[in-house]
Amino acid sequence: MSNHVFSRRGLLKAAGLTGGAVALAACAGPGGEAAPRGSGAAGFDGPVEGELSFAHWRAEDKEVFDQVIASFTRKHPKVTVRQDISASADYQSTALTKIRGGGVGDAFTAFRGAQFANIASAGVWSDLTGQSLVDAYEPALITAGAGGGKQLGLPYQLVFNMPVTNPDLLATHGYANLPQDWDGFLGVLDGLRSKGVTPIAWPGGDSGNGGQLINSMVMNNAPADDAFARVEAGTLKVTDDWFLTTLRQYEQLKPYFQDGATGSANEAAMQLFATGKAAFLATGSYAAGPVRKLGARFPLGLYAPITVAAGQARYEGIFNATFILGVNANSSKRGAALAWLQHLSDPAVAGVYANGTSQHVTVKGVEYTNADLKAFAPWLTRKTLLAPRFQFNNLDIRTAVEEAAVKVVGGTKPEEAAEAAQRVVDQKR
Amino acid sequence: MRRPLLALYALLITVPLLVVLFGSFKTTPDLFASPFGPPLSPTLANYREILGDAGLLRVFGNSVLVVLVSVPATLLLASLVGYAVARLPRWPSRVLFAVFAAGLAVPAQAMMIPQYVQFDRLGLRDSLAGLMLINVVVTLPVAVFILSGFMRTLPRELFEAAALDGAGSWAAYRRVAVPLSLPSLAATAIFLLVMHWNDLLYPLLFIDDPARRTLPLALLDFSGEYLTDYPLLFTGVVVASVPMVLLYAFLQRWFVAGITAGAVKG
Amino acid sequence: MRRTWGLYLFPIPALALYLAFFVLPAAQGLQYATTDWDGFSPGFNRVGADNLVRIATDDDQFANALGNNLTFLLAVVSGQTVLALGLAVLLAARSRGSTALRALFFLPTVLSSISVAFVWRFVYDPNLGLLHSLGVPGTFLGDEDTAILWVAVAQVWFHAGQMMVIFIAGINQIPAELHEAAHVDGAGRWQRFRFVTWPMLAPATALVVAYTTIQSFKAFDLILGLAGNPPRSSLDILSTRIYTTFANSQLGYAAAESVVFMVAIGVVTWLQGRAARIGAGR
Repeated sequence: MSNHVFSRRGLLKAAGLTGGAVALAACAGPGGEAAPRGSGAAGFDGPVEGELSFAHWRAEDKEVFDQVIASFTRKHPKVTVRQDISASADYQSTALTKIRGGGVGDAFTAFRGAQFANIASAGVWSDLTGQSLVDAYEPALITAGAGGGKQLGLPYQLVFNMPVTNPDLLATHGYANLPQDWDGFLGVLDGLRSKGVTPIAWPGGDSGNGGQLINSMVMNNAPADDAFARVEAGTLKVTDDWFLTTLRQYEQLKPYFQDGATGSANEAAMQLFATGKAAFLATGSYAAGPVRKLGARFPLGLYAPITVAAGQARYEGIFNATFILGVNANSSKRGAALAWLQHLSDPAVAGVYANGTSQHVTVKGVEYTNADLKAFAPWLTRKTLLAPRFQFNNLDIRTAVEEAAVKVVGGTKPEEAAEAAQRVVDQKR
Repeated sequence: MRRPLLALYALLITVPLLVVLFGSFKTTPDLFASPFGPPLSPTLANYREILGDAGLLRVFGNSVLVVLVSVPATLLLASLVGYAVARLPRWPSRVLFAVFAAGLAVPAQAMMIPQYVQFDRLGLRDSLAGLMLINVVVTLPVAVFILSGFMRTLPRELFEAAALDGAGSWAAYRRVAVPLSLPSLAATAIFLLVMHWNDLLYPLLFIDDPARRTLPLALLDFSGEYLTDYPLLFTGVVVASVPMVLLYAFLQRWFVAGITAGAVKG
Repeated sequence: MRRTWGLYLFPIPALALYLAFFVLPAAQGLQYATTDWDGFSPGFNRVGADNLVRIATDDDQFANALGNNLTFLLAVVSGQTVLALGLAVLLAARSRGSTALRALFFLPTVLSSISVAFVWRFVYDPNLGLLHSLGVPGTFLGDEDTAILWVAVAQVWFHAGQMMVIFIAGINQIPAELHEAAHVDGAGRWQRFRFVTWPMLAPATALVVAYTTIQSFKAFDLILGLAGNPPRSSLDILSTRIYTTFANSQLGYAAAESVVFMVAIGVVTWLQGRAARIGAGR
């Protein structure tokens, strides 16, 4: 025993340390979360200085934000801004924990829907009501950032979650004008297919992107604009006629998707579209940037399938306002964080962001110079519905409902798919 | 039989690997136009971007540092446990093994939030030391599992012979158990290297400061919401794999050390 | 037995760290299984065994994930173990060629799961994919019934080399004299494998099977990489289910799912142990 590696004193010390850790950790749990680093005492009047953390999930926007940060720090030389970027999937699960702890995200962003609501109930948004920067936004576009009568966050990006088109390809085959009814649309698809074009590229194998098509498919079929919220609340069912009709229409679309659409990843669908082999890409306007990076040279358009007879459509398309900007209530640098948000709300700065990332923004008076944004701009004033897909606050229910459509395309009977989805809705409500 | 089988498997392994290697010499449109083809107009732009980024070199250094500390530490702690498992009487040995093996079944999600709070309170979050500690802790079950498995197969008579020679437990661990277990220690080291080097969950949860990021975290920068820069990501993966392959080649030499050690005991 | 007392000190450093930073947080995390805590609100309700009852009786998504996980497990454990053993036996001998091949076969393990997922998405893509261009028909990951098996193939590709390492270590720990003795007795290649290598590899095999089992329960980044997040039901396994529940702000329910997850691993491991004993005629 004499040559044993552990001295008695060392052991006691180790035991003491571990004991301390145990005691400390024992207080963890609801109500005993990590202490916020900032006192929060310095409110919006605090100085615009120090190292500011801006937490978001748009890795593809990093360089554009670097430019925007440069112009911000020229105005406020005492402040530096650090981008804390997480991949969007991880942002859903770890960001709230980290932002709440105050380690990152003096200024931060949230997804519309469940994440916004969760951060609100955790009390992490600083109330922006009455701040001058709110006036920089289109009032109708920032309702997704309001809660309990307060403007908690500012949705920044304006996205059209509806199919993107290749107008050149469509015009070549005589479809310069797209029909405003279901039968007309099927006729176009049939015509395209007979000419060897893949009518619709749809990433049915990717839940996040494949799910977007449901927005357009239900916008005119649903009995109410908040139909999905009502499904989640239990007052509407996906076994009701309106949703069965939608699923049957998916069944009708089946021959017009690329082969094996239910197994296609987003990259593959984008590649088909970017190389001019497919006429529609059924994801959203956010695909413009990626499609350009894949080498697409043709102009881009937008079109949402109209699922009803001519003259009966209530909506022509879909929009979504997301990337909700906010100031962390637990931050000690709220003054600087507010100044950063103010900078982003400047129409000139918002223009740099929008044109650099091919995304419209909710800020008023922005000049769009990016060709794709200009092409999509008419949709800013058309009759569009706020994307119903994000009315679901429960991810399980959303997945189940969207999957009903994928299953129908995969060959399941609409009634069966709807019943399976409704069972999950009932279980998870 | 041996050669064709190995050649077939080598082909199955190589084709997907080539997608990564070739991809690092392509532009994004080239990659998507022909994912499996060789780069028709090879570019070094990706390598220039990765290797020219001072921030990434620092990240690389962080990863190396973390692995250099956490892998040997885990090996030491786990081999001590493995040794005890191999030599303790039946029941204490079983209990000890079960306590660690049970850890294998725990999903990380169940511990994440409490660990976050705990490390935050101890001031170990957002530090490489904290990352090393959590690496050691969460891989102890695997390491104990593998090492005990192997150490239990060492003949007990060897230890008894060592005891008769007057060697204490520590000496028997150092002079008998460790040398005889070199192949399994090397195998475990390789496991741990891969796990610690590629771990994403804990760096994601624990590290805030970009100066303290590790490689998997930095590679995430290439993966956006709707657009992932795969050529750049692949280049990062190729660069990150080089030290792993070198270390593997180095550790592999110890795989066969057991034969020699076994000969000594005979 | 004075000497055994010293032995009890050996595991103490590891145990101390393990208890403080693993067991304790895990116990804390799992205690939420009896609550409806969302993970961020200051308060929660105790719901007793409600969560567990719901998981057992009224959760199609969980039952589906469990079923997928068992299919995946069977495919991966059998495929990967046989493959890794075969490779190890073929490559255990020391030669320049086998050293290089070992390194090659190990290489996939080193890659990040995001790049492995990307590569395999392209292997399987029904339009641009490798299998498609080789003339193999099918939608692969899009096929409700077989999707999880295609993921199993990718998983085996990813990790077989890692298990090969364990088998090689095991083979190299077999005393050389045993092989020599068998050789002298005139045993052929197959007989030497059957009567020397295979029985002596029992501990390594047990290790590989148990570890692969746990790996197939936890294969989670590969699935999210192949299927998107959250994965659709044909590709959902227990770990992705728990992750989704967690992301869905239902920490209490996720904790309860974790408890079932651990029980499932325990039961499968126990069954494997029994099967091994029966197989060994004990």
